[in-house]
Amino acid sequence: MRLLTQTLTVVRKDLLLEWRGRSRIISVLLFGVVTLLLFSFAVGPDSAALRASAAGFLVLALLLSSTLGLSESFRLEQEQRAVEGLLLLPVDPIALYYGKAISNTLFLVLLAPILTPVALVLYAVETEPIRLLVLLGLWAAAAAGLSAPGTLYAAMTSRLQSQDVLLPLLLFPLVVPVLLATVKAVSLILTGDPMEQIRSWTILLVSFAVIYWSICGLLFPHAIEEGR
Amino acid sequence: MTVDTTPVLRAAGLGKRFGRHWALAHFDLEVHGGEVVLLFGANGSGKTTFLRLAAGLYKPSRGTLSIQGHDSVKERLDCRRLLSMVAHDNYLYARLTALETLRVWVRLLGSPARDSDLIPLLEEVGLAERRRLPVGGFSAGMKKRLTLLRTRLEQPKIVLLDEPFSALDVAGQDLVEGWVERFREEGRTVIMASHNLPRALKICDRAVSLEQGQIVWTGSGSELVKREEKAS
Repeated sequence: MRLLTQTLTVVRKDLLLEWRGRSRIISVLLFGVVTLLLFSFAVGPDSAALRASAAGFLVLALLLSSTLGLSESFRLEQEQRAVEGLLLLPVDPIALYYGKAISNTLFLVLLAPILTPVALVLYAVETEPIRLLVLLGLWAAAAAGLSAPGTLYAAMTSRLQSQDVLLPLLLFPLVVPVLLATVKAVSLILTGDPMEQIRSWTILLVSFAVIYWSICGLLFPHAIEEGR
Repeated sequence: MTVDTTPVLRAAGLGKRFGRHWALAHFDLEVHGGEVVLLFGANGSGKTTFLRLAAGLYKPSRGTLSIQGHDSVKERLDCRRLLSMVAHDNYLYARLTALETLRVWVRLLGSPARDSDLIPLLEEVGLAERRRLPVGGFSAGMKKRLTLLRTRLEQPKIVLLDEPFSALDVAGQDLVEGWVERFREEGRTVIMASHNLPRALKICDRAVSLEQGQIVWTGSGSELVKREEKAS
């Protein structure tokens, strides 16, 4: 019960800080939109090519935006060594991890309602509203799959000056299964799924998300406490 | 004054190394319940290192440290439940208000965050009127006053204070002095590192002098005064 209360308190605190600052969400959203825009310019006016690559570009925009957002999430904790203050209270490091990971997931989920319509317009994709709802669900699972290892690595690299370089280097290879499953599933949603493959890709995506959430939760206490 | 004979904190052969430099070495100390211990020494003598080791923020490179029988490394969470630390850093989020900060701390401690309980505490440190302002705009002294409230919220067995008088005005220093007296009366142990000897000596039961990470002298506050007079 105490673990749950502590987790929810960390989520609440993070969301409040995010709301007060708003700079992170604005910069990450702008970054995502600009990324989508640049990709569409790179492909050119070929609407068939645009449609075919829409899923990949959308997931790439999510991935790049998430790295920016994740590295920022622990920067606040390092100011005035606030994270140390939390550990001294004493907050169970597992509660701290799940609190941060949940708030990072919510943060990434918030990108979907903005980035998806932009992608649909830029890449000339027409789809049914029901498919968009499925897309939002998939986006949430992908956000969870990225946030779990992302939060762990952001904590590990937060005390380093080279965090901006190290975080993507560590994170990207690990999240390849999540990215592949998301790209395939989103592509099937946007372009049609005659073989009914979405289900299996979604199961793969959710499975990896569950594995990451479990393992990273166990590793986080070592990442945040060791080496001090 | 309530002084218990069983040590609440025991450091045996404690050492902490950063690279090749031993910030603390061969450090043996026993502190009892209700005791107020002052650590003093020049900058870099190992005071903060010891306090951080006691708080479980550093892992010892050598030796052991236990708090009420709990090993500071293996039972870190149990140890932290028994202590409260106020350090150089404020542990504050600039964008949260003073009241929100207290609410977060209290919830994390597992208690209900009732404003009716928190506002009197803010009144005690002179921040009640500024409770709805972000702490990022507070002066260093105001931040320190707010951080000091952690010692009141946590109800610890051991209070670790790193330079508790720094950044505070005279009224703030009087407040800390009063709190330390109160902690002693309640049977809590206080270990503080301070350069403000006139203030600290008034309230300490024992003074421990550190040099290059080692204890070089231990005695009562009055003995320290005589020693300092002799030295000068």
